[in-house]
Order: sequence, then structure tokens, then C-alpha cells
Amino acid sequence: MPPAEPVLVARDVVRRFGYRPVLAGVSFTLAPGEALMLVGPNGAGKTTLLRVLAGLLRASGGTIELRGNVGMVAHYSMLYDALTARENLRFFGRLHDGRSAGRADALLEVMGLTAVGDQRVGSFSRGMTQRLAIARALLSDPDILLLDEPLTGLDDASLAKVVDVLGGLRARGRALLIASHQLAELMGVITSVGVLARGRLQAVEPVGGRGVDAITARYREVVRGA
Amino acid sequence: MREILRGALAIAAKDLAIEWRTKTAFVSSMTFAVLVLAVLFFARDPTVVGAVDVAPGSLWVTFTFAAMIGLNRAFLLERENRAMDGILLTPVPRAAVFVGKLLANLVFVGTVEAVSLPLFILFYDVSIGRGLPALVLVIAIATVGFVALGTLLSAMVVRTRFAELMLPLLLLPFLVPPIIGAVQVTASILAHRPLSEVAGWLKLLTAFDIVFLTVCTLLFERTLEE
Repeated sequence: MPPAEPVLVARDVVRRFGYRPVLAGVSFTLAPGEALMLVGPNGAGKTTLLRVLAGLLRASGGTIELRGNVGMVAHYSMLYDALTARENLRFFGRLHDGRSAGRADALLEVMGLTAVGDQRVGSFSRGMTQRLAIARALLSDPDILLLDEPLTGLDDASLAKVVDVLGGLRARGRALLIASHQLAELMGVITSVGVLARGRLQAVEPVGGRGVDAITARYREVVRGA
Repeated sequence: MREILRGALAIAAKDLAIEWRTKTAFVSSMTFAVLVLAVLFFARDPTVVGAVDVAPGSLWVTFTFAAMIGLNRAFLLERENRAMDGILLTPVPRAAVFVGKLLANLVFVGTVEAVSLPLFILFYDVSIGRGLPALVLVIAIATVGFVALGTLLSAMVVRTRFAELMLPLLLLPFLVPPIIGAVQVTASILAHRPLSEVAGWLKLLTAFDIVFLTVCTLLFERTLEE
């Protein structure tokens, strides 16, 4: 079977803030069913890369080809505290299209939030908010899901739920790009690891049969050599 | 066009639902309006200056500053949890965001004006009589222009550190011509003089609306870029 056409192709993506280049030429591809974990030191440009790919920031150079629609989960929720979980999803769904608003109840169910669907988001715990943020990102049934630190601050139950949902998405052929420091928790989800340092993707390697320790050692080696 | 309208209505409905639930801006604006009307009424020496002489100025000072409270809050809703990113990740046209915010602001400011106007008539004991439709028309014409400009500037300043201070600083200089015009027309109506005497001011108010509705709609997209 021929390899699947990539749904995301980034070529020499550059992003400068003033004269300071945060991304200095990032190139990679992402295929359906692939989950690339983006690791790198703080300030390496992981968040900037995700924001550029999502179209929230304009690239200063390079090209980005997207074949499919994009959803994004950031380390902020993009939700309204004064609205209930259901109202938030229906609002963002209406902005996508009429059908997406109808997915609100199904997504609340998937994320285990049906019981609190009519509670205001302002009263939610970090874990509940993050699960709802993922539901918001899934409203348009995206082909590519960009996730920025999706597991930070989650308790065990929420973490297990999020990891389970991400694994399910990958199994259904969605492409995932996950910026995170929580390698061990995501080992069951990711298919490859990319090391972003000094504004460049220094290495992209498949997980293969390697464990957390081997990948971590390789990551340190790449960062030292960058 | 249909897409813009659909998105705009969803955004306006969401803003008004949040305001209805929290009533933060409305209560602040109304408290402010009542205080300003009362202070300006009692500030004059009634043996020297008649209430009707200061009434037009008092009305427009009240409307302008009470509206500013609502305009200031318009985009602060989106700053919370960076909800604007969530909107920008949907395919909704950028113009829909502006039109939606404008509609919500017009409803908000219109409500504040509708509640303030009877208080104004009561405080200043002005006899409007058959001039009421004309006064309502002038209020509507003047409000559209300054709310359009206020909506644009609110989006511009929301990411600055002193957003609530910056909005009046930027907005008030632009408002000098339309507010003078509105005061002149209001004075004419309260004096039961024909509107034809102030046709020039009415044309200025209409021109202000057309120019700033067009310019603000065209420029709005630029305010969303980081």
C-alpha cells in the first residue's frame, strides 16, 4: 500500500518577532494517522510553530500546505467562563457551520462532560476545562489536530481520558502534532518525536520500539549538538 | 454575505448572553449615567443657567462616557482565556467578528440610552413633545458612528497593558465633531425649532456614520493580527 499523502507539509517556515527569529526554517510533513510529538527546551519555538501552523500567526517566510481542516488545543482554553460547557460548544460550532453545533452533545459525551454540560466553565477544574477545550477543537472533526501542552496540570482521571481520546483520534486516521514535555504519558499515542531547538527541527525520528529513557537520552544528545 | 451575517449574529448573541448573565457593564454604565446626569444638573446655578441650556451637553456627555464602559468591555470578553483565538480558528469571516461585536455594542449602548433618556427628561424637566421621534433619530444616527469607531479601537487596544485607559484617549478626539453635531441638533429639537436649521449637522453625523462604518469594517482584520 503506498504511503498516505501528507496532510501537512511545512517547508522552511520562518517566524520573526522584530528582528529575532524564533523559527529559523522548520520543515516537516505529517501524514494521516501520524502523531508527531514536538519536544524542545523552553523558548525553542514550539508554541510559535503551532500558532503559525494554525494560522493564528503569520509566517515570516516559508510555505505551509494543509490538506484538511485544523483544530487546535492550546495551554489556554479559548473558552468563555460565563457560558456553560454546552453553550461554549454550540457557539463555536455555529461559527464552524450548522452541523458542528449539533455535535456539541456528542462531544460532551466523548469527553465525559455530559453531567456538567449545563455548568458554567468558570466553575470547572483544570482537567474539565482542558477536556472541554479538546471538545471545542474537535467540533469541526479536524484532519489535523495541533496540541500545545495538552496534559499539563491534569489529574490522573483527566489525563487518562485525554490520552485515550488522542489515541482514538490517531487510530481513526487523524494527524496529531503535540508539543509536550510529558513523553511517558504520551508514549501510547505518538508515532514519532521531533526535537525543536534554536528555531529548527533538529531531528524527527520514529518512536520504533524505543522506550522513554532511550528517547530522552536521544533528545538530550540532539539538543546538546544543536 | 450570508456567512458574515450568520457569524455576526452568533457573536452578537453570545456577547449579549454573557452581558445578560453578568450585567457587569450594564450596571456600571447605568450607575455612571445616573451620576453624571445628576451631577451636571446640580452643578449649575439655576438662577443663572436654565436646565434646558445645559441639557443637550449633559445628555451627550452622559451617553458618550456611559457607552465607553461597554465599549471597553467588548473585547475584554475575548481576552479572557484568549477566546478570540478560538474564534479565529473557525472559518468565520473576520468581518463577521466586527459586525457581531458592533451589533452587540449597538444593542448595549442603545439599551443604556433608552433607560437614560427618560431619566434625562425627568431630571431636566425638558418638554420634548412631538420632537421625541426626531431626538430618537438623532441619537440613533450619532450612536452608530461612534460605536463603530469605538468597536474598532476597542479591538486595537485590548492587547495593550492599559486598554481601559487607551480607549478614551484614542476615541474621544475622533468624537469631537459628531458629539458637537449631536449637541447642536439636540438643542434645536429641545427648543422646538425645525430640523432644517441643523441640516448641516445632520449631514455631518450621517457622513461620520458612513465613513467610519466603512473604514472600521475594512481595517478591523488588521487589528486581529499579532
